[in-house]
Amino acid sequence: MSNRVCHFKLVLLGDTAVGKSCLVVRFVRDEFFEFQEPTIGAAFLTQTVALDDATVKFEIWDTAGQERYRSLAPMYYRGAAAAIIVYDITNPDSFAGAKSWVKELQRRGDTNVVIAMVSLWEFGKNAGNKADLESRRKVDFNEANAYAEENGILHMETSAKNSNNVRALFVEIAKSLPKTIQQPEREAFPIMPQKQESRNCC
Amino acid sequence: MNMNDADWLTSGPQNSNAGQQQQQQQQGWAMPPTGTGTGTPAPGQMLHQQQHQYNPQPQPQPTMANYPPRAVSMTSSSFTTSSSSLNNNNNYGSRTPPTAIATSNTNSTNYNSSNRSINTTPTPRTTMKTPASTTSTNNNSNNNILVANRAADEETEDGRIRNREASTKIRDAWIYKQIRSRQDEFTQYKQGRVFIGTWNVNAKGKDESLSSWLCADWQQHGPPDIVVVGFQEMVDLNAVNVAVENKSQSRSAFWIDRIRATLNSRQNTQGDPSRSYTELAVKYLVGLLVCVFVKSPHKPRVKYVHTDSVGVGVMGVMGNKGGVSIRLQFYDSTLCFTCLHLAAHRENVTGRNADFANVYNKTSFEIGSEAVQEMIRLGSMSQWAMGTASVGVPDHDLVFWFGDLNYRVDESIPTERVLQLSEAGMLDELIEHDQLNVERAAGRVFHDFEEGKLEFKPTYKYQPGTDMYEQRPDKKLRAPAWCDRILWLAQEPGHVAQMNYLRSELNCSDHKPVMSTFLVTIKDVILAKREGVYREVMQMLDTYENNSLPMVSLDKLNLDFGLVRYDQRVTLPIVIANTGEVVAQFRLAPKVDENALCKPWLTVSPTYGMLIPGEKTEIELTITIDNSTAHRLNTNREVLDDVLILRLENGRDFYISVSGQYARSCFGMSVDELVLYSDPIRDVPLDPILRAEKYDLNSKAAMCVPKELWRIIDAIYERGLDERDLFTALGDPDEVCVIRECLDTGAPFGKFSVHSVAEVLTLFLSNLISPIVPVSIFPTLDIDAQNIQMFTRKFLEDMQPIQYNVFIYIISFFREVLLHREKNRLSPAKVAR
Repeated sequence: MSNRVCHFKLVLLGDTAVGKSCLVVRFVRDEFFEFQEPTIGAAFLTQTVALDDATVKFEIWDTAGQERYRSLAPMYYRGAAAAIIVYDITNPDSFAGAKSWVKELQRRGDTNVVIAMVSLWEFGKNAGNKADLESRRKVDFNEANAYAEENGILHMETSAKNSNNVRALFVEIAKSLPKTIQQPEREAFPIMPQKQESRNCC
Repeated sequence: MNMNDADWLTSGPQNSNAGQQQQQQQQGWAMPPTGTGTGTPAPGQMLHQQQHQYNPQPQPQPTMANYPPRAVSMTSSSFTTSSSSLNNNNNYGSRTPPTAIATSNTNSTNYNSSNRSINTTPTPRTTMKTPASTTSTNNNSNNNILVANRAADEETEDGRIRNREASTKIRDAWIYKQIRSRQDEFTQYKQGRVFIGTWNVNAKGKDESLSSWLCADWQQHGPPDIVVVGFQEMVDLNAVNVAVENKSQSRSAFWIDRIRATLNSRQNTQGDPSRSYTELAVKYLVGLLVCVFVKSPHKPRVKYVHTDSVGVGVMGVMGNKGGVSIRLQFYDSTLCFTCLHLAAHRENVTGRNADFANVYNKTSFEIGSEAVQEMIRLGSMSQWAMGTASVGVPDHDLVFWFGDLNYRVDESIPTERVLQLSEAGMLDELIEHDQLNVERAAGRVFHDFEEGKLEFKPTYKYQPGTDMYEQRPDKKLRAPAWCDRILWLAQEPGHVAQMNYLRSELNCSDHKPVMSTFLVTIKDVILAKREGVYREVMQMLDTYENNSLPMVSLDKLNLDFGLVRYDQRVTLPIVIANTGEVVAQFRLAPKVDENALCKPWLTVSPTYGMLIPGEKTEIELTITIDNSTAHRLNTNREVLDDVLILRLENGRDFYISVSGQYARSCFGMSVDELVLYSDPIRDVPLDPILRAEKYDLNSKAAMCVPKELWRIIDAIYERGLDERDLFTALGDPDEVCVIRECLDTGAPFGKFSVHSVAEVLTLFLSNLISPIVPVSIFPTLDIDAQNIQMFTRKFLEDMQPIQYNVFIYIISFFREVLLHREKNRLSPAKVAR
């Protein structure tokens, strides 16, 4: 516990139905729903993680994964200090999707954004024990790991269903965030931005 | 019991750490050789509760449903054990813990923590403030603390002032309180023994063993875990010595050597290094000396050893009177030892009280922020520290204060009688008139501290080298007194139990040494469990914070408008209900890099609103296809599909999907395209690929004029060019719609007024995407009688074939219409209009 609380915006990205909300719900409420409703919009929640040297408060934006909402994602990853990109190990398309999210973030996100790529285990029907899942695995761990390493991003396999690695993931992210940088405080009396001169009067 | 078999007195390892702990303890941990201590493992933790018959605040007898009391024979107290670790409410519930000195309500430790409830109400206290707390310079006094600097104030436009720093600190303080109140859940309690000895040596000192003082109870209880020894007047308190501390160091070295030689004597260690003692710290100030020794095996679990000295003598600062202190963290308990020498003279009670308060308040240890953080984590601070790197006396779990406090027997008893009673060992009357007892009872000094019953004769003033009170005729006759005392202060009252309180008969000084051994409860925090508790507390707090976010529910997020026709308004409602616990404000927000809330064919009303919890409202979404939107839809450059962002202020976003099927119309198209299709326009797919499959789009197959135009004109023709006010009277709007629909679907016209058809014609022509006469060939010159013929020829030649056809067709039709001008009252001027 610390008297220093750092606030960080964190965004969850990834294809539809890979389990972004499950991950957040497990982390924030420690609950799991077999049939998590799809997120139509962007859910906002906060959750605190205590490190030895600081307390990190995540302001989490859980985004909609459906393709038709993809163009709205920049609203949420803009200014985010961290992004968790989720894919489903039983679904290779979702891994491809995750890669494209990584690219988009590298291109358009904050330069210092901490990216974590996370696979979820339990998705798809009849999720069973680990061996069952292993047999349905379509995304090779080493391949994903190599990709993550290449891109300098965190990579973890987690399970929202049995809570495996969920907290560890957020702790890991909290640790990698630069806590020395003072979060920009909102100015008490904001100076109005100068009006941009409009080009080409028509 | 074999003394070698030292172990924690505690039984019942509670966690996986325990094994490791025990192994470590086997070498070094002290333990009374009673034979009843370790044999029976009991489930859970054990707290040892003192049953001290003379304790000024008698403690309620612990319930002992399952465990018989363990009779541990001791000189002045007996121990009982109860399984009180996690349900200790019956032990402490009725007792006011004497913890906070400088605070009253801040550290309300809930002793009934077994139900894991959250303390929202502070434990009521009946604390009397000592002068100490009001004159405090201590950071940890709660009086008038500024929680955050004004520099952190942020003034909002509405005039409210918000201070994030303050808010964070207040929140952290609350978290700290919660964690602290649950410390039993993550703390493994162990029993250890602390020896405290104090002696005013009157600047004397012989090269003799101190074992009759320091090791007096070892036969009975075994060697303690911590040995703390304090001296006063190790140098003569003359002006030179007070001003120049030249002798103090050598005298302190002398006494340290004596102590070390005594503790680590061959007889005591028997050559076993694990039985030896290690010196942790020494602090002296003029004649004052305090030192702490710890049994060597415990050394690795000692940290943050710091010292401080406070002089309160001559001019209020000199070291002839004052206190020297050592504090440290032992396992996860924090301990503070202070050796005092307070103002002398029988009548000077207030001076002593003031000296105490001064030392108490001025003693502080710069332990660094890291150590403070750790203390906070361990729950040892008396209250949340406001971002300091130093701690004061009350910020320790266990505090021992001892020394030549100089309190006497008050003057109501004549000196001679005090002497007689002292010599005779008739102590009760003297105890009653002991100034320290009187002052403490009145709450004027050593507030919240405890002291054991005095069962030894007054320790001052002796004739040096003898065991007789000073009565030589050349000396002033003094009333014997208990100048030399040992007191303690524990945040958890059950965590200290005095095993004995004795004096030694060493006689080189005019004071007798005093000593006491304490059974103390030492905390060993199981970090993983503590983290778990912290997580739970944070989780709960986060839950409250998340629940205080605005929340609404929308009855639907997908609006399908179905088939939407040209010039038709379709409205669908969405019900928004505030399902949260706070007022919710909602508004439609534009998408990334856009300014508009939605597509031009959609209107929303209202676009914002506010709902109190439980309130509902409706917003209406309307699709309107007019001329400006129709052609984009007809050309498939636009589809009826949009996503609206409904944003809760300070909360989440919802996406509302709007979709519809555009019912294709000949309105809002171009003649060039219309002539391509022989089928009704509704049947022509919007998708260009499908369209290309269905129709041969080369212009040879095209009709001369759009069939829709022909149908309208044909209908007017049929129904009466003679109709009065043709083209000037308005048609029936409903009929206009039906006619348009018939044109689009190819259905035959029904019965309707010719005026409606005429209006459809006008609308059709004016709603063409491009005018029949292209702008490029519009006359640029003034037309007059001379050039009109030439101009007209050029005009017609420049036209595209389709437009030419349509133009001629329409002109011919109007010429025909004008032939009937008698009846329909149309004039060329009206037609032109």
